[in-house]
Amino acid sequence: MDKRVPRVLMGKPGLCGHDRGIMLVIMALRDAGMEVIYSGRHNSPEQLVDIAVQEDVDVLGVSILSGAHMALCARIAERLKEQGAGDIVLLAGGFIPPEDIPALKALGVREVFTEGARLDDVVAFVRRASEERLPA
Amino acid sequence: MLREDLKVAEAAWRGRHAAELADAAATPARCEDGLPLKVVYTPLDLEDGSADVAGFPGEFPYTRGNDATGYRRKLWTISHYAGFGSPRETNVLFRKMIDHGGVPPYMALDLPTQLGLDPDDPMAAGEVGLTGTSIASLRDWETIFDGIALESTFVGTVINAPAAVILAMHIVLAQKQGADLAKVRGNLQNDILKEFTARGNFIFPVAPSLRLVTDTVEYCARHLPSFWPLNVTGGHFAEAGADRVHEVAFAFADAFTYIERLLERGVPIDAFARNMFFLMKTNHFDLFEEAAKFRAMRRIWATRLRDRYGARDPESLKCKVLGHSGGSQMTRERPELNIARTTLACLAGALGGIQLIGLRTMDEVFGIPTEKSEMIAIGTQHVVAHETGVPDVVDPLGGSYYVESLTREFEARVQAELDRIESEGGVVRAIETGSIRREIARDAYEAQRAVERGDKVKVGVNKYRIDEVEPPRRPYKLDPAEEGRRVEDVRAVRRERDNATAMAALEELRRVARMPEGSDSNLMGPIIEAVRAYATMGEICGALKDVFGEYVERGRV
Repeated sequence: MDKRVPRVLMGKPGLCGHDRGIMLVIMALRDAGMEVIYSGRHNSPEQLVDIAVQEDVDVLGVSILSGAHMALCARIAERLKEQGAGDIVLLAGGFIPPEDIPALKALGVREVFTEGARLDDVVAFVRRASEERLPA
Repeated sequence: MLREDLKVAEAAWRGRHAAELADAAATPARCEDGLPLKVVYTPLDLEDGSADVAGFPGEFPYTRGNDATGYRRKLWTISHYAGFGSPRETNVLFRKMIDHGGVPPYMALDLPTQLGLDPDDPMAAGEVGLTGTSIASLRDWETIFDGIALESTFVGTVINAPAAVILAMHIVLAQKQGADLAKVRGNLQNDILKEFTARGNFIFPVAPSLRLVTDTVEYCARHLPSFWPLNVTGGHFAEAGADRVHEVAFAFADAFTYIERLLERGVPIDAFARNMFFLMKTNHFDLFEEAAKFRAMRRIWATRLRDRYGARDPESLKCKVLGHSGGSQMTRERPELNIARTTLACLAGALGGIQLIGLRTMDEVFGIPTEKSEMIAIGTQHVVAHETGVPDVVDPLGGSYYVESLTREFEARVQAELDRIESEGGVVRAIETGSIRREIARDAYEAQRAVERGDKVKVGVNKYRIDEVEPPRRPYKLDPAEEGRRVEDVRAVRRERDNATAMAALEELRRVARMPEGSDSNLMGPIIEAVRAYATMGEICGALKDVFGEYVERGRV
């Protein structure tokens, strides 16, 4: 049986323009054979969720280095619920102080990868999360 | 020793140490950008006479330094990037920094300001004051510089897309203070091209963005001769992951694009090139290549400016560099080691003979730094400057077989990249095709994979890890009520000003923006009048968006 190819939307919500991290993850996920859409920079949280729903992705990965992660992730999680898309796995990365991670997870962010994370760990997480969402 | 004798002697030396040399060759060393390194360099590596080509300091091609006597004449300037969320806190910080050894402020701004949005814009929600100071109108500039004389204070500002608006605030406040504009010193970053290819803080499409840069530089050339309106930043390429050759090549490609626009505008090269400078990384890894990078930059710049653009003023031919240690080189693991990294980064810049140095703090990887760590970063520079003796001799690495050879090789690689970019249609074309972004991403990916494989050691990360019990401290935390106060501040400005004057100034700005670009339609004049009338950052950028539209980034990578 063919394995389902995970579909991922990677996005930069808010105003932060630094995209080194997100580009690394995009390349690693593609190297691992996944379908990855990139939103480009300066998206509102609502825009990102709407694209994620339209594209029916398994995982929505967001990268934020500006310090606005709490406010932005809260809006994304809320919009996902409003759209009945709470099953889309929300993944956050970027410049996030360790003590904020529990609060992000309480909002509904499934996993947080920060500076120093290994690409192989990110790829493994996305694969696992996608399979759990829709088993092949 | 004659060259023939030297060849014989070196061959004999190789023979005596053949086994060791073979061992070393089995694990080849190379710089991160791929430049292969020999085990040892000898006079034979300089047989083309490149040590002679380097010449003397203070003279063309300035490889050995901009000044004949180097840091004996003037130590590098200690620069420090800082800025708190509110204009009032920033004022307190700047006064303290100026008192503390005259360290000039190098201002960090928040993202809404950098994107031309007022604090009450919906896209600004949650982002006000986070990455630096929030500036919405002239009133904020007046608060930040309350009690600080602009005629005698160098003010650096990291502002790009709305740089013209910040420059206008500086000019209007200087006028209000009664300052002589000819003496006002400071800088804007104003390097919009790298926002499209690396940093991401763009507003308008590429063509009007370039017009704004040309307008600001032209205006300063005519009215603010001591001001540095354009700080071309290779450092953001490096932070985005570009290797060292790309860092320099992309920065020069951007710089030459601006120069060519200004020359087309009819601004003489020697009227503005002297006030251009570069912000580059000064990093601790591949330390000798870093020093060689700065030497090579000076030679490339001087040669191009003289031979291609006809510059004659020695100040135009001197490539001036502000080196910042890279945040991406700092680690959360064993964060105190970041002080060691920045010490070496400072050394690399000093050995390279650059003009200004700024170091990241050890705790910046956790958030906005604490005051204590800011003082450590400044003190680190004081140690390098006053305890090592490094500043005593100009270009201390000059004549080193190794460093001269690296300098020559580095220059050749950068030149090859510049030629490639030019042959592919230049930087504007490269923004359209995404080629520069792809190159940077590829470099970053290779570097990251090298760390994950363990090929590139990061102490505390992939080697010498210590699992620490002490939890990382949270440095500065912005008061969550600040955003609301900033929203109220900007609304008060709109309420209290003479609204008809502000609206008329914005309409005039739109009118001039609709004209074809040129000296007669330079946007600085109308932007200054809009600022003077307390039109806000969001209103001024909004008026320009009405005419220019906005840049839409394509997601495909």
